[in-house]
This record gives sequence, structure tokens and C-alpha cells, in this order.
Amino acid sequence: MSEGRPTRVIRTDYLARVEGEGAMYVRLDGRTVADVKLRIYEPPRFFEAMLRGRAFTEAPDITARICGICPVAYQMSAVRAMEDACGVAIDAGPLRDLRRLLYCGEWIESHSLHVYMLHAPDFLGYTGAVEMARDHAEIVEQGLQMKKAGNAVMTVVGGREVHPINVRVGGFYRAPSPAQLRSLVDPLEHARETALATVRWAATLPFPDVTCTPELVALSEPGAYPIDRGRIVSDRGLDIAPAQFDEHVVEEHVEHSNALHARIRERGTYLTGPLARYAQSSQTLRALARDAALHAGLGPVCSNPFQSIVVRAVELVQACDEALALIEDYQEPDAPAVEVTPRAAVGHGATEAPRGMLYHRYEIDEDGTILDARIVPPTSQNQLAIEEDLRAVVERSLDLPDEQLSLRCEQAIRNHDPCISCATHFLELTVDRGADGV
Amino acid sequence: MASERKSSSSVRTPPPSVSERASVVLIGVGNALRHDDAAGLEVVRRLRAQANAARIAARAQIALLEHEGEPLALLDMWEGARAAVLVDAVSSGAEPGTIHRVDASRGPIPARLRSSTSTHAVGLGEAIELARELRRLPARVLLYGVEGARFDAGSGLSRPVQALIAPLADAVLGEARELAAAPVPPRYARGVGE
Repeated sequence: MSEGRPTRVIRTDYLARVEGEGAMYVRLDGRTVADVKLRIYEPPRFFEAMLRGRAFTEAPDITARICGICPVAYQMSAVRAMEDACGVAIDAGPLRDLRRLLYCGEWIESHSLHVYMLHAPDFLGYTGAVEMARDHAEIVEQGLQMKKAGNAVMTVVGGREVHPINVRVGGFYRAPSPAQLRSLVDPLEHARETALATVRWAATLPFPDVTCTPELVALSEPGAYPIDRGRIVSDRGLDIAPAQFDEHVVEEHVEHSNALHARIRERGTYLTGPLARYAQSSQTLRALARDAALHAGLGPVCSNPFQSIVVRAVELVQACDEALALIEDYQEPDAPAVEVTPRAAVGHGATEAPRGMLYHRYEIDEDGTILDARIVPPTSQNQLAIEEDLRAVVERSLDLPDEQLSLRCEQAIRNHDPCISCATHFLELTVDRGADGV
Repeated sequence: MASERKSSSSVRTPPPSVSERASVVLIGVGNALRHDDAAGLEVVRRLRAQANAARIAARAQIALLEHEGEPLALLDMWEGARAAVLVDAVSSGAEPGTIHRVDASRGPIPARLRSSTSTHAVGLGEAIELARELRRLPARVLLYGVEGARFDAGSGLSRPVQALIAPLADAVLGEARELAAAPVPPRYARGVGE
């Protein structure tokens, strides 16, 4: 490539190891990045349409099916929004603790999948987990064991390991007994040890020197690492209740994608997810996780998206440690749910899915029939930030051969663990290098 | 009222570690809200709904299971089983309604069947190959791939896929029975619990 070869286009048909399938397109004019597009073809409009006319109690089960990796996030944002509409708040006590415990299970499951099966091969030079397993079976087994601990939490609290069926507006259909929860202690203690080792291991990986500074947006709650509730806060002064999300975040159609791209009104791109949560709330991490982060060399803010694997590992420690604490303190509630009586209202719910903030808004009538639904998945919110990352990564990697540059681009996308399936089913990934660029 | 639509009886107990008891697991894999991606689930649901088929399965220690979502969980679902029969939708470019039968115990899944049409993070083919690398694949693994016509969001199978659910259900149950009756392969003879 030289100044004399004006166009170089990198095109990849599929984004491997991204939830769902994705399409990416990068065009270089000389040494200038002319265009970067991450394309998503199908927003979750089918589900929003499907929800209209259904009972408000059905939203958790229906939306849980949007994603096989983060069903709990969908359930939790849905129940919070419906309870908000009906004037009910479950902000303390065993029901909220059970919700956080279930959510910890999902974080453990999702993060261990991403760290070990999807992200680690990038750093260790393998095309995927299968190839990595040939040389590093013990690393893959570690990931699978940790993931299994998350599955166990999902099964005991959620009723089954995928698409939990025990969650309802107001609480749960059935509360687990303390003895059932105690069965989780051994696997979680083991997972916590593995998570600590994972932080130490992840910190030694080779990271490209990249700095990205999008506005970082996450839920924030005094004294607790954000999972299931909180205000929406950013490092640039945003501090709003979930009910104000619509006023501050606009979704726009862009030409290359059917999905809507979210922007903060009058400011632009923002990022949600582990890097944002960590930047906002690292001081509220449990001591074990905070120490692990410190020893891994993470400062109060991590601006290198490639190091998100370390932050995810720290969140694995956090989720395991918090889950164990919740189990230790658990007292079976008198009733598995509080009564929630519908009324004509609008409700908002925002929670932290493993890969970022997930916002739901519902309008229901006095019978509890859903009149309108809006779902903004984390990946839709992160799309623009991921494109900006891609741009930064390509600018720093212009001299890499095509194949390596393409891989580096895929890696840059995987840094954010996009759950493209939350927004789409098929997603073609295209990195187009013109003929001159070869 | 929140409590009216669903009674507590709808809460299933956590699925037992089925393979602890089952000799063969027959697993329908898919996504119920992606049209033809539900084909595998529908096959297993049909078997469960038919008293005769369910009885045959129980007698032969065949567990009839559904799996939606992340395929690596399959490694736990078939743990301890001597054989697994998997039914999933595929999109390989063949005529919708085509059935691909692959004996995964004999070697890697053909590449044309590996590109997952599902929202899975790691495809079914990758989960099988990962299990093979880790020596966590049952001695026999048969994959039935149902060529789908549409995988967009929504429920209901396309006509060619719907038409083959009943015969395919009979076929996979027959296959599972044969596997359950076959002698236990020597390297799996220990620890199967029979």
C-alpha cells in the first residue's frame, strides 16, 4: 500500500465469534480511513410489535427470547419497567437479592464464554476455541467450568439454565430454599478462584496500544457495583433517571444499517458495558475484585478497549464473590412475589446486561395490556463507539498485511462482546479492500 | 394480576442432570422464535406429546430434551450419555426440507453444515468439535440437520419443514433406540451407570 494506491477495502463476510453474525466494511483512501461501517440488518422490532396487545406479565418471558446469552438481562429490564409502570419498587430484601443473584449467574456465564471461548483465541493466536483447545485444553476447561457455575445459578434461581422461567413481574414464581442455594457454594467458590487466576492471566496478554475515549455510560448506584438498577450516569456529566432516557438519547437510522444507532442528544457517541461500568463504579467493587484489578495494573479508568478482557475478568470475580455473599445472607422470603396491580401508565427499566445497559419502556393500559414497547439493546447503543474504535485501530495498523488487519478489526469488534443477535439474526461482515489494496 | 396468568405449576424443577440416568440423549436444538430454526425443537416436542413415543423413549432410557440458546451447554447435557442424537436447523443452500444426516462420531462436521443459522455464540458444529478436542463427546453422535427456508424473527415453520417433522421424529426416535440397544463401546463402558 502507498500513496499511489488510493483505495484499499477490507471486506469480511462473517464476524466469527461475535454473538449472531455481523458485517463490517472498512475503506482506506491512501493512509486515510475513509469509511467504517458495522452493519446490522434487523432491529428487535419484531419483539416490540409482538408485545403490543399482550399482558404486561408476559413481557419478561417474551423478551427473554431475544437473546440466548443474556435472557436474564431482558427479563430484569422488563420486570423493572413493568413494576415502575405499576408503582411498585423491589429495591431491597430477599426478592431483590435473588434477582441480583440470578443476574450474577448470567454475568458469570456470559463473561466466561466471552473471555475464554471468544476473546482469548484472539490474544493467543488461534482462529477459535476449537483450535485453541488443541494446545490449551486446560484453559478451555477452566472457562467451561466457570461457565457451568453460572449455569448452575441460572438453573437453581431461574428454573433452567437458558431462558429462565421462574422470573415474573413482582418477583419469582417460586423462591429457592436456602438449602438449594447452598448447593451453589462449592461451584461458586471454585469459580471465584478461577476468576482470580483469570484476572492474573488476562493481565499478561499482549495488548495493542490503543486509546479510545467515547463518553462512558453506565448505571450507577451508591455503594454497589451496578447490575439491576441505578441512575444512568456518564463521565461527561450525564446523570438521569431511566425515565429520562428518551429525552437524552436519540436513535437514528443510518443508511448502511437497518438498526437504529443511539446517540446522546447534542453530544453523540457513547459506550456502555464493562469499560463504562468499571470507570463509573470501580470504587464500589467488592474488596476481592478491587484488589484483583489493582494487582492487574488497571487504573481507575481503562481506555484501551483490548483490555476489556481484564475488566471482564475482574467482573467475574465480582459476580462470583457477590453471588456467594448473597447466598450466605439469604433468607427465604415470605412470599415469592409481591402483588402488582396494573394501571394505565408508562414504565421504564434499565439494567446492566453483561455487554452493556439494556433499556426497556412500556406503555400499558388499566388492564395491563401492553400498548407500546421500546427496547434499546446495548449493542445498538455501542455501534457507533465500536465503529470509532475500528477507525482508531485501523489508523494505528495501516502497515499490517490485509489478513492481519482484518483480524485486528474483528478483534476490535469483539472487544465489546457485541450481542448482535440482540438486534438482528443474520449480520454479514464485510471488509472491502479494493483491488489496488491487495 | 400478575399471578393469574401463570400458576406455580408452570415452574419446572431444575432439569435433572438427565444424562446421569439416560443412556441416550435426543436433543432438539434451535430458536422457537426464528421460524424454521425451531425445527429441532418441534421434533422433540412431537415425540414428547405422543404418549407412545414418550413411553418408548422412557423404556429405552432415551432423554428427550430441548435446547435453546448457547450450544456449549450441550457438553453438560450429554455428559455421561453413551450417545447423542441432535436435531437442528441448517442453512447450507440445499432445498428446504432436505435432511442432512451426519455421523459426527466419525469425523468433523462438514463445513457447509457448520455455519450456524442460529443466534448461538459458538455454533453447534463448533460445540461438537470443541467437545471432540476435550474428549467430551459421547461415543456416538448423530446430527440431523433440517434445511430451513426462513430464519427471520417470527414463529411457525415453513411448509416444507413442517411436512417433515412427523417422519423425522419417527426416524430419530428409531435411531436413538438402536443406539440405546447397541453394546456399550469399551472406552465408555465405565462410568455410564448402567
